[in-house]
Amino acid sequence: MRKYILSVTVLVLAVFIALFAGNTAMDSRHVMEVICGGGSPAERVIIFQIRIPRILASLVSGAALAVSGYLLQDNLNNIIASPGLLGINNGAGLFVLISALVFPYKSGMKCLMSFTGALLSAAIVCVLSIGTGMSKTSVILSGVAGGSLMASLTQVIISLKPETVADKVAFSLGGFANTGQDMMKTAIPVIITALILSFITAGSLDLMLLGDETATGLGVNVTFYRLIFIALASLLAGAAVSMCGLIGFVGLMVPNFIRMAWNGKSRENVLRCILTGAAFLLLADTAARLIVFPYELPCGLITNILGTPSLICVLAKKRKRLGTYD
Amino acid sequence: MIEIKNAKTRYIHGRSFSYQELCFEEGKITSVIGKNGSGKSTLLKMIIGMLRYDGNVMIGNSESRDLSARKRSQRVAYLPQILKTPRIDVETLVFHGRYPWHGSFRRMSGRDTEFVQRALYITGMEAYRHRFLCDLSGGERQRAYLAMVIAQDTPMILLDEPMTYMDMAIQKRILDILYTLAKDGYGIIMVSHNIEQSFSCSDTVCLLHEGNVMAFDPPEELAKQEDLLYEVFGTKIKKSKDKELLYPYVAVK
Repeated sequence: MRKYILSVTVLVLAVFIALFAGNTAMDSRHVMEVICGGGSPAERVIIFQIRIPRILASLVSGAALAVSGYLLQDNLNNIIASPGLLGINNGAGLFVLISALVFPYKSGMKCLMSFTGALLSAAIVCVLSIGTGMSKTSVILSGVAGGSLMASLTQVIISLKPETVADKVAFSLGGFANTGQDMMKTAIPVIITALILSFITAGSLDLMLLGDETATGLGVNVTFYRLIFIALASLLAGAAVSMCGLIGFVGLMVPNFIRMAWNGKSRENVLRCILTGAAFLLLADTAARLIVFPYELPCGLITNILGTPSLICVLAKKRKRLGTYD
Repeated sequence: MIEIKNAKTRYIHGRSFSYQELCFEEGKITSVIGKNGSGKSTLLKMIIGMLRYDGNVMIGNSESRDLSARKRSQRVAYLPQILKTPRIDVETLVFHGRYPWHGSFRRMSGRDTEFVQRALYITGMEAYRHRFLCDLSGGERQRAYLAMVIAQDTPMILLDEPMTYMDMAIQKRILDILYTLAKDGYGIIMVSHNIEQSFSCSDTVCLLHEGNVMAFDPPEELAKQEDLLYEVFGTKIKKSKDKELLYPYVAVK
């Protein structure tokens, strides 16, 4: 447990900051009073029906996106693989819109459709890149191609049927302003189940990092586990997108940060991704709420801004190790 | 023991390989030689279940395709030609060799640790146990992976060009290790491009050509078939005039 003290501390701090920060002027003592059962009905609504659900949605989505990125990166042996770059988020986003178009009054369908879209995008990447032996470049290029197609179709739907999405910009960048509790009721159990399954199966990722041939020699059914990890990553990303829209870079940044900061086994890293991803997205969402107070920025805008330096860090690390960008 | 009878395998792009009758025994070293693309690595990949095949590949009393990946890896260890360098230390890598026996959830037992210590000792990697793979030279990395394969403790060990990056002294050391393992009852199948080494260190040499088995004989017998060696390698392979050195070698002049 000592290994995770830093991550847990940051997470707890992030939760407190998010709980105390907001439009309504409530100091920390006041907030604690409301949590302990006091306060006015309006204050109870603010804490229990707005802030806490939003915190919960941010925590779960952050954990889901980070673990999704980690599974994809280790599984494909590619440090720049992430649900955003492989088009999985875009696929999920497209199907969320289709769901809003076809089943406008069934918000529970969003999660299922989102997962279908995520899995379809992952399948497109696999089919397009399988001919080249799933090489790093072909996987990324296939993801970019599939993701662009999904993004274009999303834009077509938004242009033709603007009423399908409440806030076009917020959906494209991702955020928690429009996250409904009915969506959370479907997505959170799915994410928690997928996180538990990811933790259980992550042990074989350590061996898959040695390459397919070595892993097979050590008794890992590589094809089976590769499909399981892609399905879990899609499930996690899909469920997260159904709650928060197309938030980018979390799945890329958090796993790479964890690899740089710690050198643990895959199972430990999955736990760290859960803690760090949750804390990161919650802090990003809190920042999005506070930066232009009393207005609010989409949370995805903050993660996108932070994504650029993180990519530079990955490149710099690669350069340091190899002495060259080649 | 691994017995192969009329096994045929092919890659997606259509290249096919057939292995008529081969028998690799425990306690013996078998070298697999042949030109590039003759099916040496393919033979090993077929045995460990990476490639589908028609015919029979028996590992002990069981057909290879009927065994689960875990069960197969308790009987056959495999060291591939291309070795990755993830950011893990040597000891962790060697502990991975115990995966077939305990999975990823069971804690390492004292017995597992003993196997790891023994493998590190045999390969001379004890001093490198806390070094990262990415910080090692090619030869050291290959020894670390060899230690992993030894820690796996299977009756049969398959090695795909295990001495590619090693200097002469380390090659000698690895050959000594292989002799010791064979003496202890382990069966070794080693793919190699080093003809002199293959002939001098093996109990049997398997000669492959264009996806077919051309010979499966003791080295002394195969060394006599100069025409066959010429046909397979497309170049004159000389034999030393020194009567004690019976084995062929490649020379410029």
